[in-house]
Amino acid sequence: MDSDSRLIFEKGYNHPHNNFIPKMDIEYENIDDLIPKTLQREDLLIPDIPEIEIVRHFLNLSQKTYGVDTGIYPLGSCTMKYNPKINEVIARLPDFSKLHPLQEENLGALELIIELSKILCQVTGMDGFTFQPAAGAHGELTGLLMIKKYFETMNLKKNAIIVPESSHGTNPASAKMAGFSIIKIRSNKDGEIPIDLLKYAMEGDNVAGIMLTNPNTLGLFERNIKDITKIVHDYGGLCYYDGANLNPMLGICRPGDMGFDIIHLNLHKTFSTPHGGGGPGSGPVGVKKEFIPFLPNPCIIPNNNGFQYREYSENSIGRIKSFLGNFGVLVRAYAYLLALGAQGLRRVGEISVLNANYLQVQLQKKYHAPYNRTCQHEFVLSDKNLPNDITTEDIAKRIIDYGIYAPTIYFPLIVSGAMMIEPTETESKASLDNFVNVMLKIYEEARSNPELIKNAPHNTPIKRLDAVLAARKPILHD
Amino acid sequence: MDFIPHDKDSIKEMLKVIGVNSINDLYRDIPNDLKINKLDLPEGLSEPDLLRKLEQLAHKNKIYSSSFLGAGCYYHYIPSLVEFVISRSEFYTSYTPYQAEASQGYLQAIFEYQSAISRLTGMDVANASMYDGSTALAEAAIISTIITRKNKILLLEGIHPEYLEVIKTYCWGYHIEYELVSEKLLFSKLNEDIAAILFQSPNFFGEIEDVPSLVKKIRKIMPKCLIIQVMTDLTCLGILKPPGELDIDIFVAEGQSLGIAPSFGGPGLGIFTAKELFLRKVPGRLIGKTKEINGEKEGFILTLQAREQHIRREKAISNICTNQSLCSLAALIYLVSLGKTGLREIATQNFQKANYVKQKLGEIEGFEVLNQKPTYNEFLVRCPNINKFRTLCKKENLLPPLKLTKYFPDMKDVALICVTEMNKKSDIEAFLNAALLSIQKTKRRD
Repeated sequence: MDSDSRLIFEKGYNHPHNNFIPKMDIEYENIDDLIPKTLQREDLLIPDIPEIEIVRHFLNLSQKTYGVDTGIYPLGSCTMKYNPKINEVIARLPDFSKLHPLQEENLGALELIIELSKILCQVTGMDGFTFQPAAGAHGELTGLLMIKKYFETMNLKKNAIIVPESSHGTNPASAKMAGFSIIKIRSNKDGEIPIDLLKYAMEGDNVAGIMLTNPNTLGLFERNIKDITKIVHDYGGLCYYDGANLNPMLGICRPGDMGFDIIHLNLHKTFSTPHGGGGPGSGPVGVKKEFIPFLPNPCIIPNNNGFQYREYSENSIGRIKSFLGNFGVLVRAYAYLLALGAQGLRRVGEISVLNANYLQVQLQKKYHAPYNRTCQHEFVLSDKNLPNDITTEDIAKRIIDYGIYAPTIYFPLIVSGAMMIEPTETESKASLDNFVNVMLKIYEEARSNPELIKNAPHNTPIKRLDAVLAARKPILHD
Repeated sequence: MDFIPHDKDSIKEMLKVIGVNSINDLYRDIPNDLKINKLDLPEGLSEPDLLRKLEQLAHKNKIYSSSFLGAGCYYHYIPSLVEFVISRSEFYTSYTPYQAEASQGYLQAIFEYQSAISRLTGMDVANASMYDGSTALAEAAIISTIITRKNKILLLEGIHPEYLEVIKTYCWGYHIEYELVSEKLLFSKLNEDIAAILFQSPNFFGEIEDVPSLVKKIRKIMPKCLIIQVMTDLTCLGILKPPGELDIDIFVAEGQSLGIAPSFGGPGLGIFTAKELFLRKVPGRLIGKTKEINGEKEGFILTLQAREQHIRREKAISNICTNQSLCSLAALIYLVSLGKTGLREIATQNFQKANYVKQKLGEIEGFEVLNQKPTYNEFLVRCPNINKFRTLCKKENLLPPLKLTKYFPDMKDVALICVTEMNKKSDIEAFLNAALLSIQKTKRRD
């Protein structure tokens, strides 16, 4: 492996070429006749680099990066499952990848969106979907704007929304972008929404409803979910479902049946499209019939005979992204759903829960599990039992030394030093056993050799980095 | 087909360790009446059957041999190494690089992306990416109101119509006032209450605005009003003066042109850049360079996270979490693959070829070029018989230009034509021939 860690701009290449540009086949005019000199740039500081050097540079960078294809990636609430390779092949079929969003002969693409809508309606118990949102948070914003519009059309001033303190950070941030103020609710000792507090909060005249994840970010199913949605509805509110944790519910139960009005899904979590190092994703928003008029323009909506393209709806929130969304991501999710079918999807849900519980019962022998319950797809440990002032971050860094990725840490905020672990269904028993062994070994190390852990990682290209320095004196480019 | 590695025995063993009899026991918290028996979906498919089915579906789309359609999504050549590198599965199967020590490679790549975008645009800081050009522009509008503590923005005509719709949606959500103004009226609308002026150049109609004089005039009237520029095809920066040299406060763009396939409009790449002054108001992720705590080695890390939703929740600058990382990696590889020589050549060819077609079309009887300002690779032409012209293009296996009535119902008979380096001389001749034929047939019918 190349030990040269210089930036690609610093390597001093000077190799001018036009390898990636067709040979010019009309006569050049003087460029100054086409565009005034004052609007032209003088210099461009992007070096000319030979192809082999570029490939080697990035191949080396890839080898300093950990992906699902490297090993277990137990990030809670991120659902880092295996990304099937066939989906990459299909998304790159030229008939998909070269399709222009504004061209007329797009029947294959529209049919794919319609078929994907149908499947997702069946999987979630909703009645229609928009695919414009490019990510989960973008879906949340879309859904919340629909709630806002719904009440606007009824001439009701409802500008506050209930968000549990255990929710994903995007929930309150999205609510704020949609113009809502936030009413926080703290979970009870079982890790669930306290019904009395919910009722109390809903009594406010201006409360539009609630945003919920179920299973919640503690990995626990809200046992009172039907009561929760009923109470919110009885007070005239709406229920929004954050689909980040849908994976364990596949084929078992559906947010539509739980009483949710508007939901978003993360195709890059539940439906196996790759996370790509943080994106691109896709955050389709599903709604019950009543809310179809509020879906973004344009949209593919259900009608009596199936589905139709809707250019415009009076009550729509408007457009939320250019064109029809991250289509390439939709192709992958559709391929995944077709590959799995009804049985395969249910098995995803079941095994994701089996895997999480298998880890939880073994890890809670040493680590503190604040909620001693059967979990769903993920569970949370706290830093309560850690010896010798070892922190959650120390544990995470030491995990990396063993060649595996660390869980989500310090989230949810309601658990001290949280470690949130989601193995997903695609990890084998052997992989889980290895994870357990590593975690238990680290616990022993924490007791016997705390300095080893406090100074971890030791086996990485770089030691623990100074985050404070990075923020105090930001260097964001070379 | 499924992607679950377990065999029956290991499932049994795992249940035993957990202390339950069946997987159903793990779902005991779910009320029985919420449980469903079976999803009403077909059986799963094997890989060959799946591939065949989707190939047939894809085949219902028509891909033309050459395109004269742009309008926010462009056909430029994508070097083979772009797809090769982003297909390295360490990259594409990784998550947001929260654990820096296990993600140095990708972190360095995004740092290099931020650097490449700074070099290309001349702007002080670039973030790690936004969803697309339209949402990058909408978020720029929002932060302009946070920075200036004013609540109204002006939108100059010529912004992509879909971007305008997105801005309207975001502004309605965030309670920001907006007004769409013509260049003539812009300066009379400028006053103390305006947070920012947003404009596109080259604009939707292909025209390159005289940015230096526009900026100068705005600064003279309202020095503190932010100036925000958006661009939909960055290849023009191979020739054009970059926004960083023109006193632009926030520059955003759609980066699809930089090595990303059209893919029916997404995923693309939202590029977000700003002056250093606004660093702490920039939405989205930023990668910074730092040092080891107990050492001298330099490394890369997610930084200034106190702006972000996972730390600040409702007090965050934006709700963005997942972005378009893999697309920013593609853009980086595209930029270094072309290099300054290639970037200058691609811009030159786009300028030359588009202006060649513009001139030739203008010489055909009945065709009228509508642009008054210089244009890059797109321009507006009034056509004597736009439907016939477009049908004839299709017959020649050319993807016809946009009919402007899609966005501007009053602008009948006007085509927005895009010509790039990918249109060979033979394509251009066929295109011009279709234009000629479109009037001949009209005449015959008379």
